[in-house]
Amino acid sequence: MAYKINRRAVVKGMGATGLAMPFLNAATASAQSGPITLGVVTPLSGPAQLIGNFVRHGAEIGADYINANGGVDGREIQLEFRDSKVNPNDASVAARELIGAGANLQLGTISSAVALAMGPLLESEGGVVITSGAGTDKLNHENYNPHVFRVGDSPVSRNAGLVRHIANSRPDIRKWAGIIPDHEYGRTTWKIFEATMRKVIPELTGEEAEIAEPVLVPYGSGDYRNYISQAMRLDVEGIYTSVYGGDAVTLYQQSQPFGLFEKTDVLLDSANEFLVATAMREQTPAHWSGFHWYYEANKGNPLSDDLYSSYVERTGDQYPMGWAAEAHAAIMAYAKAIEKTGNTDTMDVIAALKGLSFDSATGMRHIREEDNQAVKNAELAFIEPSSSEDSGFAVTDYVSLDGETVVEPARPGKTLDLSTL
Amino acid sequence: MIDYRARFRSNLLIASCGLAVFAVVPLVANSGLMFLAGLVAINVVFGLSWNLLFSGAGLLSFGHAMFFGGGAYAMAVVSLRLPELPFLVGLAVGAGCGALIALIFGFIALRRASGVYFAVLTLAFSELVHILITKTTFLGRNDGLVGVPRPEIDLGLFRLDLTSATAYYYFIIVAMAAAAFALWCFQNSPAGRLIQAIKQDSVRTAFLGTSVFAWQLTAFVLSGAIAAFCGAVMVPFTQIASPEIAYWTVSTQPILFTLLGGAGNFWGPAVGAILFGAIDYGTRAMHGLSEITVGTLLLVVVLVIPGGLLGFVRHRRKKTRGTAKASTAEDTGARP
Repeated sequence: MAYKINRRAVVKGMGATGLAMPFLNAATASAQSGPITLGVVTPLSGPAQLIGNFVRHGAEIGADYINANGGVDGREIQLEFRDSKVNPNDASVAARELIGAGANLQLGTISSAVALAMGPLLESEGGVVITSGAGTDKLNHENYNPHVFRVGDSPVSRNAGLVRHIANSRPDIRKWAGIIPDHEYGRTTWKIFEATMRKVIPELTGEEAEIAEPVLVPYGSGDYRNYISQAMRLDVEGIYTSVYGGDAVTLYQQSQPFGLFEKTDVLLDSANEFLVATAMREQTPAHWSGFHWYYEANKGNPLSDDLYSSYVERTGDQYPMGWAAEAHAAIMAYAKAIEKTGNTDTMDVIAALKGLSFDSATGMRHIREEDNQAVKNAELAFIEPSSSEDSGFAVTDYVSLDGETVVEPARPGKTLDLSTL
Repeated sequence: MIDYRARFRSNLLIASCGLAVFAVVPLVANSGLMFLAGLVAINVVFGLSWNLLFSGAGLLSFGHAMFFGGGAYAMAVVSLRLPELPFLVGLAVGAGCGALIALIFGFIALRRASGVYFAVLTLAFSELVHILITKTTFLGRNDGLVGVPRPEIDLGLFRLDLTSATAYYYFIIVAMAAAAFALWCFQNSPAGRLIQAIKQDSVRTAFLGTSVFAWQLTAFVLSGAIAAFCGAVMVPFTQIASPEIAYWTVSTQPILFTLLGGAGNFWGPAVGAILFGAIDYGTRAMHGLSEITVGTLLLVVVLVIPGGLLGFVRHRRKKTRGTAKASTAEDTGARP
């Protein structure tokens, strides 16, 4: 059979294409009336999938909550998920593809490198992103971009709060070391830890803190034994770590035979919440961990109670972690901002998000107009192994610090001033 | 006898048709799809540059990411740290960076190894480049370099504004069509034929007075420069250079494109890259399924049609022609 292209066929084809053109951008045409589509770009595969799953559940529970209560001005919230693979390159491709499909309002970024890459990208493409746990200080300082919002903890409120709490409760511990991931988030947390510790310990004891050079570990490595040996050689009383996700579980497990955490008095974990404890159970070393949201500290808050019960019902897992609350908070913030401005246009939503106060699973949060950083309480919990618990561990202490007392002053476009910590 | 003029015309037509198809994308698709199409266009030439080595010179490289990443980072550094330099200089520096990496590593690898050992050496060199990037503060370590601007090109009489994604997309497809056709011209030039002769029988070619090492190194450097050019063109489009683009997984991509499309045909990697892009797009909401789909497809292609899709099409056409000729001969023979 022979196929011939003739003038009539070309004219027919052009005519059909012309007729189809208006429908190809139907998503854009219906953007202000149909359901509101929010894009969620988060790790859904690889070592950080563990965290991405919390983001996914939190966002879905938040959207369900809004939709069950009448939506946003009667419009339903729909979520469109893409896998960031914790890779700025893949994340930027996904973000652009979503904007092209009409999802200009996005959330779910947990990686600092991805969050920093999003600013210029979304500015040029006309989108907004609310991060769900990215912890670099540059986001609301030297790399501040009006298109990127952080409705969760600033790294200062999380880490400086953690350090101040430990220093106050154990001022006798002055010799510290750090095991830090060698990338943006790790360097940020260490900078804050070191500066705060060097300031607080002399204030409390009159003596200088002794802080060793941090042990820098790569992201995604399956073998941390060389780095653990390096840490074992240090003469320290406390260890601070900001290694996170699957990497943290590997690091903690590989530290067991070395006895690294038995050697020291205090272990401070910047952000792993229950990640390590649920993996190691009775083997979990006793440690303080920073939390985006600890449900016991927020009992009685209807949003927190709904998030917790919905999460447990969906997954059967009794230990939801704070990334779920950060994605949940991003949905709440978007819902309130869209309600305020009446549409989903990028610039209008940015204007509405700036200075917005909204309710969340950790109570009221306020987004600062100057640097897009939310002020929220910082939560910390002490996790210990427990043979009496089915899970193999228990939370035996927790604190919730007022956000206003631990967050740094807004300095968009300028570097973090460590003297203010 | 082979009619080279007819071949030249038909391959120029293929490159022009490809360019025309890509040119229509911004008119009929949203900006997200256009962005993906731009990446596919870059991948087409990235795949062709790898196949220049594999099918052209018979060298299996597992380290093409080092060229791609090298070109991308060179472009990002020029754009961010030396903004006064023209964009076209940045592109030249990017391609030159790939050529230099290829020259250094090719000089060592081609002297020391061949076959599988050569492939493993390229993989090791590539990983070395990746680690160097992640450890260099100037290159942004693990975080990479972000906010790479899109250029305005001053052409004397007028300025070409490529700051919008659509304008830059058109620049990409024109640049990639030109690079693809230039590669075809090289492969069909006397130099390209000589490199193919080395692939078929290096000992006999050496006896004819050809320096096998020099020509293999030439192919390696040219392939590296083209791959780096692809990386350099990509960076202002994505506006980011992160270490992942120099990771070994990127080295596997042109291999996948070539296996899918067919290594025996010049345009095989192009077909593979387009198919790969389509699968990636089709499975974008099925997390983790993209890799499984590509893996399964690859397995099927290798087991069922080892010549790739274009190899399969060529086989079918030959078979059809053979059947038609046979039936014509029968018809003729039956006549009184």
